[in-house]
Amino acid sequence: MARDATRRRVLAIGALTLPLAVAGCKGLGALGTPPKAAPGVAVVGHAITVETRLIAHYGAVLAAVPALAGTLRPLLAQHHEHLARLRARLIIPPGSRATDLASPGASPSGSPSPLAVPGTPAAALGYLRDAENAAASAQLAHLAAAPPSLAQLLASISASEATHAMFLGHARHR
Amino acid sequence: MTARPAARRSAPARADGPAAVAALQAALAAENSAVYGYGVAGAHLAGSKRAAAVRNWVAHQNARDALTAMLAARGAQPVAAAAAYELPFAVHNSAAAVALATVLEDRVSAAYLGLVGLSDPALRALGARAVATAALRAAAWRGSTLAFPGLDVPTPKRPGAPTAGRATTASPSPPGSPAPSHSG
Repeated sequence: MARDATRRRVLAIGALTLPLAVAGCKGLGALGTPPKAAPGVAVVGHAITVETRLIAHYGAVLAAVPALAGTLRPLLAQHHEHLARLRARLIIPPGSRATDLASPGASPSGSPSPLAVPGTPAAALGYLRDAENAAASAQLAHLAAAPPSLAQLLASISASEATHAMFLGHARHR
Repeated sequence: MTARPAARRSAPARADGPAAVAALQAALAAENSAVYGYGVAGAHLAGSKRAAAVRNWVAHQNARDALTAMLAARGAQPVAAAAAYELPFAVHNSAAAVALATVLEDRVSAAYLGLVGLSDPALRALGARAVATAALRAAAWRGSTLAFPGLDVPTPKRPGAPTAGRATTASPSPPGSPAPSHSG
């Protein structure tokens, strides 16, 4: 864990000093266009986007089919753990959103377009199972580009999501 | 970690040669332990649970053979299986056998996470697949999921012991049969 903390600090220092160094060279105008983040930061940003989207799927399903709350809340809680562990690898300036910082291209999660989710429990479970499987794959998309400890975190999160998909698949047949 | 000359930096696949061998050996040791452990667990299980244990036992033997071949290809001497392994708790009934199978898969998932920490993309991908496979089996035995399989591995506990520790277990409604899926 000490190694994780060190890595986090290195990432954070990189994220903080790089803009300053660039600004120092090019003057204040350079502050207008943020420099490209270090590779690890981009990978964390992608992972945060995937996790945030998955949590939005859960939120939409819980709103549409409240009867599934007992089944879904424990799984949703683990996604919040995933998100927290990923965010902990970034320094988030006060007042900004992690997703905005990490992936400038992503749409802000504040007002997402409403997700069309199935209204029946069986179909909703299948919908979330597919979302979990997609997320499990997406978390491995940049595995090769990640620093070692981040790669391990992504593999672990991906595996967790695979187990979620298995449980949702079983629950569907009840 | 042994110090290595800073100047020697070659292709990524070779760069972590000794580290790759160490990670493969750790995975092999976990597979050897799982093969032994499933032999013990299977003896105390019946029906679909026994069938699942046998299926997993065979899968771990296959994984052991694959790792042995990978180590041999790298010119390393694969770690030998021990004649017997110390179990985390006494296994005299079905509940303890299920708990043992869970521990075995948790340990296997943790061992394969070592491969994901290497720089060789092929070994990373292989490790990630194996972590997921073991996590699926562990979740099926456990009846619940972990937030960080392989990374935050719960301390082994005897069935019926007070629930505590840093295991982040969820309790989704039971998925019917706890038979582990051997695919994926």
